[in-house]
Amino acid sequence: MDHIQLLNDKIDINLIHQLLIDQSCGACSVFLGTTRDNFEGKNVISLEYEAYENMALKEMGKICTDLRVRWPSLKHIVIYHRLGIVPVSEVSVVIAASAPHRVAALESVNFAIDQLKSRVPIWKKEVYEKDLIGEWKANVECPWPQYSKTSLRTFEFFSCKIDQKTENIPDKLVQIRVDDSELNRRVKCFLKRKRDEINLYNIHDFKQLSTNTELADSSESEVKYSCARTQSSLVKQQQSKSHLKVRREIDNSGPHVRPNYSSQLNKLTTAQHYKNDSFENSMLRNSRLRNIEEYMCVTSDGDNILNRIKNIENKILLLESISPEYKYFVSIFIIVYQMFILSNS
Amino acid sequence: MERDTSFVNINVLFFAKSRELAKTSRAEFTVKSVLIARNLLNQLIDRFNLNTISNNLILAHNENYIENLDTEINLQKGDEIAVIPPISGG
Repeated sequence: MDHIQLLNDKIDINLIHQLLIDQSCGACSVFLGTTRDNFEGKNVISLEYEAYENMALKEMGKICTDLRVRWPSLKHIVIYHRLGIVPVSEVSVVIAASAPHRVAALESVNFAIDQLKSRVPIWKKEVYEKDLIGEWKANVECPWPQYSKTSLRTFEFFSCKIDQKTENIPDKLVQIRVDDSELNRRVKCFLKRKRDEINLYNIHDFKQLSTNTELADSSESEVKYSCARTQSSLVKQQQSKSHLKVRREIDNSGPHVRPNYSSQLNKLTTAQHYKNDSFENSMLRNSRLRNIEEYMCVTSDGDNILNRIKNIENKILLLESISPEYKYFVSIFIIVYQMFILSNS
Repeated sequence: MERDTSFVNINVLFFAKSRELAKTSRAEFTVKSVLIARNLLNQLIDRFNLNTISNNLILAHNENYIENLDTEINLQKGDEIAVIPPISGG
Protein backbone atom coordinates (compact mmCIF):
# COMPACT_ATOMS: atom_id res chain seq x y z
CA MET A 1 0.00 0.00 0.00
CA ASP A 2 1.16 3.56 -0.69
CA HIS A 3 1.07 6.03 2.21
CA ILE A 4 1.55 9.60 1.13
CA GLN A 5 1.16 12.61 3.40
CA LEU A 6 2.13 16.20 3.92
CA LEU A 7 1.81 16.98 7.60
CA ASN A 8 2.34 19.85 10.00
CA ASP A 9 3.08 17.82 13.12
CA LYS A 10 5.97 15.75 14.33
CA ILE A 11 6.34 12.47 12.46
CA ASP A 12 5.89 9.38 14.64
CA ILE A 13 8.51 6.82 13.62
CA ASN A 14 6.69 3.94 15.37
CA LEU A 15 3.63 4.65 13.29
CA ILE A 16 5.73 4.44 10.13
CA HIS A 17 7.07 1.11 11.27
CA GLN A 18 3.55 -0.21 11.78
CA LEU A 19 2.59 0.90 8.26
CA LEU A 20 5.51 -1.07 6.81
CA ILE A 21 5.23 -4.31 8.75
CA ASP A 22 3.98 -7.26 6.76
CA GLN A 23 4.29 -10.97 7.39
CA SER A 24 5.55 -11.61 3.88
CA CYS A 25 8.39 -9.08 4.19
CA GLY A 26 11.91 -9.70 5.38
CA ALA A 27 13.14 -6.13 4.98
CA CYS A 28 12.01 -2.67 5.99
CA SER A 29 14.15 0.24 4.80
CA VAL A 30 13.51 3.65 6.37
CA PHE A 31 15.18 6.89 5.41
CA LEU A 32 14.76 9.81 7.80
CA GLY A 33 15.76 13.25 6.57
CA THR A 34 16.46 15.50 9.54
CA THR A 35 17.03 19.24 9.72
CA ARG A 36 20.58 20.47 10.19
CA ASP A 37 21.68 23.33 12.42
CA ASN A 38 24.28 24.76 10.07
CA PHE A 39 24.86 25.72 6.46
CA GLU A 40 28.25 26.91 5.18
CA GLY A 41 29.31 27.87 8.69
CA LYS A 42 26.13 29.82 9.44
CA ASN A 43 23.98 28.75 12.34
CA VAL A 44 20.48 27.81 11.25
CA ILE A 45 17.95 28.77 13.88
CA SER A 46 14.81 27.58 12.12
CA LEU A 47 13.57 25.95 8.93
CA GLU A 48 10.28 26.36 7.19
CA TYR A 49 8.78 24.18 4.49
CA GLU A 50 6.17 25.23 1.98
CA ALA A 51 4.52 23.10 -0.70
CA TYR A 52 2.29 23.31 -3.73
CA GLU A 53 0.27 20.77 -1.85
CA ASN A 54 -1.99 19.22 -4.46
CA MET A 55 0.77 18.92 -6.96
CA ALA A 56 3.27 17.67 -4.38
CA LEU A 57 0.90 14.84 -3.42
CA LYS A 58 0.40 14.04 -7.08
CA GLU A 59 4.16 13.94 -7.71
CA MET A 60 4.70 11.77 -4.63
CA GLY A 61 2.07 9.42 -6.00
CA LYS A 62 3.95 9.28 -9.31
CA ILE A 63 7.10 8.34 -7.43
CA CYS A 64 5.27 5.43 -5.80
CA THR A 65 4.00 4.21 -9.18
CA ASP A 66 7.52 4.51 -10.53
CA LEU A 67 8.96 2.50 -7.62
CA ARG A 68 6.47 -0.30 -8.13
CA VAL A 69 7.38 -0.56 -11.79
CA ARG A 70 11.09 -0.76 -10.99
CA TRP A 71 10.80 -3.00 -7.90
CA PRO A 72 7.59 -5.02 -8.31
CA SER A 73 8.23 -6.93 -5.08
CA LEU A 74 7.70 -3.83 -2.89
CA LYS A 75 4.92 -4.28 -0.37
CA HIS A 76 4.33 -0.97 1.38
CA ILE A 77 5.70 2.46 0.54
CA VAL A 78 5.62 5.48 2.86
CA ILE A 79 6.44 9.02 1.77
CA TYR A 80 5.81 11.65 4.45
CA HIS A 81 6.95 15.25 4.38
CA ARG A 82 6.69 17.91 7.08
CA LEU A 83 5.44 21.42 6.26
CA GLY A 84 5.62 24.66 8.23
CA ILE A 85 8.27 25.39 10.81
CA VAL A 86 10.44 22.40 11.67
CA PRO A 87 12.78 22.74 14.66
CA VAL A 88 16.42 21.81 14.13
CA SER A 89 17.22 18.05 14.31
CA GLU A 90 13.60 16.92 13.82
CA VAL A 91 12.53 14.67 10.98
CA SER A 92 11.43 16.61 7.89
CA VAL A 93 11.01 13.72 5.47
CA VAL A 94 10.43 9.98 5.69
CA ILE A 95 10.83 7.54 2.84
CA ALA A 96 10.27 3.91 3.72
CA ALA A 97 9.60 0.68 1.92
CA SER A 98 9.09 -2.93 2.86
CA ALA A 99 9.86 -5.90 0.61
CA PRO A 100 10.47 -9.65 0.90
CA HIS A 101 14.21 -9.08 0.39
CA ARG A 102 16.48 -6.23 1.42
CA VAL A 103 17.86 -5.22 -2.00
CA ALA A 104 14.53 -3.95 -3.31
CA ALA A 105 13.79 -2.14 -0.03
CA LEU A 106 17.20 -0.44 0.18
CA GLU A 107 17.50 0.52 -3.49
CA SER A 108 13.96 1.79 -3.85
CA VAL A 109 14.28 4.11 -0.86
CA ASN A 110 17.50 5.58 -2.24
CA PHE A 111 15.87 6.12 -5.62
CA ALA A 112 12.76 7.65 -4.08
CA ILE A 113 14.55 10.32 -2.04
CA ASP A 114 16.47 11.41 -5.16
CA GLN A 115 13.20 11.65 -7.06
CA LEU A 116 11.52 13.59 -4.27
CA LYS A 117 14.33 16.11 -4.17
CA SER A 118 14.25 16.64 -7.91
CA ARG A 119 10.53 16.88 -8.70
CA VAL A 120 8.20 17.31 -5.74
CA PRO A 121 7.29 21.01 -5.44
CA ILE A 122 8.31 21.63 -1.83
CA TRP A 123 10.50 24.54 -0.74
CA LYS A 124 12.68 25.02 2.29
CA LYS A 125 13.64 28.33 3.81
CA GLU A 126 16.50 28.51 6.27
CA VAL A 127 16.67 31.36 8.77
CA TYR A 128 20.16 32.07 10.05
CA GLU A 129 21.31 33.44 13.38
CA LYS A 130 22.75 36.66 11.99
CA ASP A 131 20.40 37.08 9.02
CA LEU A 132 16.77 36.82 10.03
CA ILE A 133 15.39 37.35 6.52
CA GLY A 134 16.31 33.80 5.61
CA GLU A 135 17.14 32.11 2.35
CA TRP A 136 15.18 29.86 0.03
CA LYS A 137 17.25 26.81 -0.71
CA ALA A 138 17.58 24.85 -3.94
CA ASN A 139 18.34 21.14 -4.13
CA VAL A 140 21.31 20.08 -6.22
CA GLU A 141 19.02 17.40 -7.65
CA CYS A 142 16.63 20.07 -8.92
CA PRO A 143 16.86 19.90 -12.73
CA TRP A 144 16.01 23.50 -13.63
CA PRO A 145 18.31 26.50 -13.31
CA GLN A 146 18.97 27.31 -9.69
CA TYR A 147 19.67 30.46 -7.79
CA SER A 148 23.37 30.93 -7.87
CA LYS A 149 25.75 33.81 -7.56
CA THR A 150 26.58 33.63 -11.24
CA SER A 151 23.01 33.48 -12.44
CA LEU A 152 22.06 36.43 -10.27
CA ARG A 153 24.87 38.46 -11.76
CA THR A 154 23.99 37.71 -15.35
CA PHE A 155 22.24 40.35 -17.35
CA GLU A 156 18.49 40.43 -16.93
CA PHE A 157 17.15 40.55 -20.42
CA PHE A 158 13.60 40.91 -19.27
CA SER A 159 14.37 44.16 -17.50
CA CYS A 160 14.92 45.90 -20.83
CA LYS A 161 12.95 44.04 -23.41
CA ILE A 162 13.78 44.69 -27.01
CA ASP A 163 10.79 45.57 -29.11
CA GLN A 164 10.29 42.84 -31.66
CA LYS A 165 9.07 45.29 -34.31
CA THR A 166 12.35 47.08 -34.90
CA GLU A 167 12.80 47.36 -38.63
CA ASN A 168 14.76 50.54 -39.28
CA ILE A 169 17.82 49.62 -37.29
CA PRO A 170 20.90 51.66 -38.26
CA ASP A 171 23.59 49.55 -39.92
CA LYS A 172 26.12 50.22 -37.19
CA LEU A 173 23.95 48.55 -34.53
CA VAL A 174 24.11 44.83 -34.14
CA GLN A 175 21.64 42.78 -32.22
CA ILE A 176 23.08 39.61 -30.74
CA ARG A 177 20.66 36.94 -29.70
CA VAL A 178 22.49 34.23 -27.81
CA ASP A 179 22.12 32.62 -24.42
CA ASP A 180 23.88 33.77 -21.25
CA SER A 181 26.82 31.39 -21.41
CA GLU A 182 27.65 32.33 -24.98
CA LEU A 183 27.32 36.02 -24.17
CA ASN A 184 29.57 35.63 -21.13
CA ARG A 185 32.11 33.83 -23.26
CA ARG A 186 32.15 36.63 -25.82
CA VAL A 187 32.48 39.32 -23.17
CA LYS A 188 35.38 37.41 -21.61
CA CYS A 189 37.08 37.06 -24.99
CA PHE A 190 36.65 40.76 -25.63
CA LEU A 191 38.15 41.69 -22.25
CA LYS A 192 41.05 39.33 -22.81
CA ARG A 193 41.78 40.75 -26.25
CA LYS A 194 41.72 44.32 -24.93
CA ARG A 195 44.05 43.41 -22.10
CA ASP A 196 46.47 41.77 -24.54
CA GLU A 197 46.38 44.84 -26.75
CA ILE A 198 47.23 47.12 -23.83
CA ASN A 199 50.08 44.82 -22.81
CA LEU A 200 51.45 44.90 -26.34
CA TYR A 201 51.31 48.71 -26.47
CA ASN A 202 53.10 48.88 -23.15
CA ILE A 203 55.88 46.72 -24.53
CA HIS A 204 56.13 48.88 -27.64
CA ASP A 205 56.32 52.03 -25.57
CA PHE A 206 58.89 50.58 -23.25
CA LYS A 207 61.32 49.42 -25.89
CA GLN A 208 60.70 52.11 -28.44
CA LEU A 209 64.14 53.63 -28.22
CA SER A 210 65.88 50.42 -29.19
CA THR A 211 63.62 49.92 -32.19
CA ASN A 212 64.05 53.56 -33.03
CA THR A 213 67.82 53.31 -33.36
CA GLU A 214 67.46 50.34 -35.66
CA LEU A 215 64.68 51.69 -37.77
CA ALA A 216 65.20 55.39 -37.32
CA ASP A 217 62.99 56.64 -40.10
CA SER A 218 60.19 54.13 -40.17
CA SER A 219 59.29 54.32 -36.49
CA GLU A 220 59.70 58.04 -36.07
CA SER A 221 56.01 58.68 -36.43
CA GLU A 222 55.27 56.09 -33.74
CA VAL A 223 57.57 57.82 -31.28
CA LYS A 224 55.47 60.92 -31.46
CA TYR A 225 52.37 59.09 -30.33
CA SER A 226 53.92 57.13 -27.53
CA CYS A 227 52.60 58.06 -24.13
CA ALA A 228 55.51 56.56 -22.26
CA ARG A 229 57.50 59.24 -20.51
CA THR A 230 60.61 57.20 -19.94
CA GLN A 231 62.15 54.69 -22.26
CA SER A 232 64.69 52.02 -21.76
CA SER A 233 67.43 50.68 -23.87
CA LEU A 234 67.33 46.91 -23.69
CA VAL A 235 70.61 45.12 -24.17
CA LYS A 236 70.96 41.39 -24.42
CA GLN A 237 73.16 39.93 -21.72
CA GLN A 238 76.23 38.17 -22.92
CA GLN A 239 76.01 34.38 -22.90
CA SER A 240 72.29 34.53 -22.29
CA LYS A 241 69.58 33.66 -24.73
CA SER A 242 66.66 35.10 -22.92
CA HIS A 243 67.57 37.79 -20.43
CA LEU A 244 67.67 41.41 -21.29
CA LYS A 245 69.48 44.00 -19.30
CA VAL A 246 68.19 47.53 -18.99
CA ARG A 247 71.16 49.66 -19.85
CA ARG A 248 69.78 53.13 -19.32
CA GLU A 249 66.62 55.10 -19.05
CA ILE A 250 66.11 58.16 -21.12
CA ASP A 251 63.63 60.78 -20.16
CA ASN A 252 63.21 62.67 -23.39
CA SER A 253 59.78 64.12 -22.93
CA GLY A 254 60.16 66.21 -19.77
CA PRO A 255 60.20 70.06 -19.71
CA HIS A 256 63.97 70.15 -20.04
CA VAL A 257 63.82 69.04 -23.69
CA ARG A 258 62.13 72.25 -24.82
CA PRO A 259 64.33 74.44 -27.01
CA ASN A 260 66.25 77.08 -25.04
CA TYR A 261 64.95 75.59 -21.84
CA SER A 262 68.08 76.18 -19.77
CA SER A 263 68.70 79.70 -21.03
CA GLN A 264 65.09 80.68 -20.40
CA LEU A 265 65.14 79.21 -16.93
CA ASN A 266 68.46 80.91 -16.36
CA LYS A 267 67.00 84.26 -17.34
CA LEU A 268 63.96 83.82 -15.13
CA THR A 269 65.92 82.94 -12.04
CA THR A 270 69.01 85.16 -12.22
CA ALA A 271 68.29 88.07 -14.57
CA GLN A 272 67.59 90.66 -11.88
CA HIS A 273 70.84 89.96 -10.04
CA TYR A 274 72.92 90.70 -13.13
CA LYS A 275 70.97 93.75 -14.23
CA ASN A 276 72.87 96.49 -12.37
CA ASP A 277 76.33 94.94 -12.31
CA SER A 278 79.30 96.22 -14.24
CA PHE A 279 81.83 93.73 -15.52
CA GLU A 280 84.78 96.08 -14.93
CA ASN A 281 84.22 96.41 -11.20
CA SER A 282 85.92 93.76 -9.10
CA MET A 283 83.69 94.64 -6.14
CA LEU A 284 80.74 93.88 -8.33
CA ARG A 285 82.31 90.61 -9.35
CA ASN A 286 82.45 89.81 -5.69
CA SER A 287 78.79 90.73 -5.37
CA ARG A 288 77.92 88.44 -8.26
CA LEU A 289 79.59 85.58 -6.49
CA ARG A 290 77.65 86.49 -3.38
CA ASN A 291 74.45 86.46 -5.40
CA ILE A 292 75.20 82.97 -6.57
CA GLU A 293 76.03 81.86 -3.06
CA GLU A 294 72.84 83.41 -1.79
CA TYR A 295 70.78 81.81 -4.49
CA MET A 296 72.29 78.42 -3.92
CA CYS A 297 72.03 78.69 -0.15
CA VAL A 298 75.81 78.44 0.38
CA THR A 299 77.22 80.40 3.32
CA SER A 300 80.24 82.54 2.37
CA ASP A 301 82.96 81.80 4.90
CA GLY A 302 85.93 84.20 4.88
CA ASP A 303 87.82 85.77 2.01
CA ASN A 304 89.36 82.72 0.34
CA ILE A 305 87.75 82.89 -3.06
CA LEU A 306 88.80 79.38 -4.06
CA ASN A 307 87.08 77.90 -1.00
CA ARG A 308 83.94 79.83 -1.90
CA ILE A 309 84.02 78.49 -5.44
CA LYS A 310 84.68 75.02 -4.09
CA ASN A 311 81.59 75.28 -1.91
CA ILE A 312 79.47 76.29 -4.88
CA GLU A 313 80.95 73.45 -6.88
CA ASN A 314 79.95 70.98 -4.20
CA LYS A 315 76.46 72.40 -4.12
CA ILE A 316 76.15 72.04 -7.87
CA LEU A 317 77.26 68.45 -7.71
CA LEU A 318 74.71 67.80 -5.02
CA LEU A 319 71.94 69.45 -7.01
CA GLU A 320 72.95 67.63 -10.15
CA SER A 321 72.78 64.34 -8.38
CA ILE A 322 69.37 65.18 -6.93
CA SER A 323 67.84 66.49 -10.10
CA PRO A 324 69.09 66.94 -13.66
CA GLU A 325 66.89 70.04 -13.78
CA TYR A 326 69.76 71.91 -12.16
CA LYS A 327 72.28 71.17 -14.85
CA TYR A 328 71.94 74.72 -16.24
CA PHE A 329 73.83 75.93 -13.16
CA VAL A 330 76.95 74.33 -14.57
CA SER A 331 77.19 76.92 -17.35
CA ILE A 332 76.85 79.83 -14.89
CA PHE A 333 79.48 78.33 -12.70
CA ILE A 334 81.96 77.95 -15.56
CA ILE A 335 81.59 81.62 -16.57
CA VAL A 336 82.03 82.84 -13.00
CA TYR A 337 84.95 80.53 -12.37
CA GLN A 338 86.81 81.60 -15.51
CA MET A 339 86.21 85.24 -14.65
CA PHE A 340 87.81 84.91 -11.23
CA ILE A 341 90.78 82.96 -12.56
CA LEU A 342 91.38 85.77 -15.06
CA SER A 343 91.04 88.53 -12.48
CA ASN A 344 93.39 86.79 -10.04
CA SER A 345 96.11 86.02 -12.54
CA MET B 1 -7.26 32.85 -36.37
CA GLU B 2 -9.97 33.74 -33.91
CA ARG B 3 -8.60 31.19 -31.45
CA ASP B 4 -5.28 33.04 -31.35
CA THR B 5 -6.73 36.37 -30.39
CA SER B 6 -9.10 35.23 -27.64
CA PHE B 7 -8.09 35.92 -24.06
CA VAL B 8 -8.83 33.88 -20.94
CA ASN B 9 -8.61 34.41 -17.21
CA ILE B 10 -6.30 32.05 -15.42
CA ASN B 11 -5.25 31.61 -11.79
CA VAL B 12 -1.58 32.04 -11.06
CA LEU B 13 0.03 30.57 -7.94
CA PHE B 14 3.31 31.71 -6.46
CA PHE B 15 5.56 29.82 -4.08
CA ALA B 16 8.65 30.42 -1.98
CA LYS B 17 10.81 33.24 -3.33
CA SER B 18 8.41 34.04 -6.18
CA ARG B 19 5.60 34.40 -3.63
CA GLU B 20 7.68 36.86 -1.64
CA LEU B 21 8.59 38.90 -4.71
CA ALA B 22 5.03 38.92 -6.08
CA LYS B 23 3.77 39.76 -2.57
CA THR B 24 0.88 37.36 -3.10
CA SER B 25 0.39 33.62 -3.31
CA ARG B 26 -2.45 33.78 -5.78
CA ALA B 27 -3.52 36.14 -8.56
CA GLU B 28 -5.81 36.28 -11.55
CA PHE B 29 -4.23 36.95 -14.88
CA THR B 30 -5.61 37.53 -18.35
CA VAL B 31 -3.67 36.05 -21.19
CA LYS B 32 -4.00 34.75 -24.74
CA SER B 33 -5.52 31.30 -24.69
CA VAL B 34 -2.86 29.85 -26.99
CA LEU B 35 0.75 30.85 -26.55
CA ILE B 36 4.30 29.66 -26.04
CA ALA B 37 4.95 28.82 -22.39
CA ARG B 38 8.04 31.03 -22.27
CA ASN B 39 5.97 33.97 -23.46
CA LEU B 40 3.54 33.42 -20.58
CA LEU B 41 6.43 33.14 -18.12
CA ASN B 42 7.94 36.39 -19.40
CA GLN B 43 4.61 38.17 -18.99
CA LEU B 44 4.34 36.89 -15.42
CA ILE B 45 7.92 37.94 -14.67
CA ASP B 46 7.20 41.47 -15.87
CA ARG B 47 3.84 41.76 -14.18
CA PHE B 48 4.84 40.29 -10.81
CA ASN B 49 8.30 41.70 -10.31
CA LEU B 50 10.19 38.41 -10.67
CA ASN B 51 13.17 39.80 -12.57
CA THR B 52 15.76 38.83 -10.00
CA ILE B 53 14.92 35.13 -10.31
CA SER B 54 13.76 35.15 -13.93
CA ASN B 55 16.44 32.63 -14.97
CA ASN B 56 15.43 30.14 -12.31
CA LEU B 57 11.74 29.64 -12.93
CA ILE B 58 9.61 27.00 -14.55
CA LEU B 59 5.83 26.67 -14.81
CA ALA B 60 3.29 24.05 -13.92
CA HIS B 61 -0.01 23.90 -15.79
CA ASN B 62 -2.85 22.32 -13.82
CA GLU B 63 -0.38 20.60 -11.48
CA ASN B 64 1.84 19.24 -14.21
CA TYR B 65 5.25 20.59 -15.02
CA ILE B 66 5.67 22.23 -18.40
CA GLU B 67 8.79 20.31 -19.30
CA ASN B 68 9.79 22.50 -22.23
CA LEU B 69 9.09 26.22 -22.08
CA ASP B 70 9.20 26.44 -25.88
CA THR B 71 6.06 24.36 -26.30
CA GLU B 72 2.72 25.91 -27.10
CA ILE B 73 0.10 25.69 -24.37
CA ASN B 74 -3.69 25.83 -24.57
CA LEU B 75 -5.31 27.61 -21.67
CA GLN B 76 -8.92 27.27 -20.58
CA LYS B 77 -10.76 29.68 -18.31
CA GLY B 78 -9.83 29.02 -14.69
CA ASP B 79 -6.71 26.99 -15.47
CA GLU B 80 -4.08 26.94 -12.77
CA ILE B 81 -0.57 28.07 -13.62
CA ALA B 82 2.05 27.78 -10.88
CA VAL B 83 5.33 29.66 -10.90
CA ILE B 84 7.87 27.19 -9.60
CA PRO B 85 11.27 28.36 -8.33
CA PRO B 86 13.99 25.74 -7.75
CA ILE B 87 12.63 23.19 -5.30
CA SER B 88 14.27 22.26 -2.00
CA GLY B 89 12.18 19.55 -0.39
CA GLY B 90 13.60 16.67 1.61
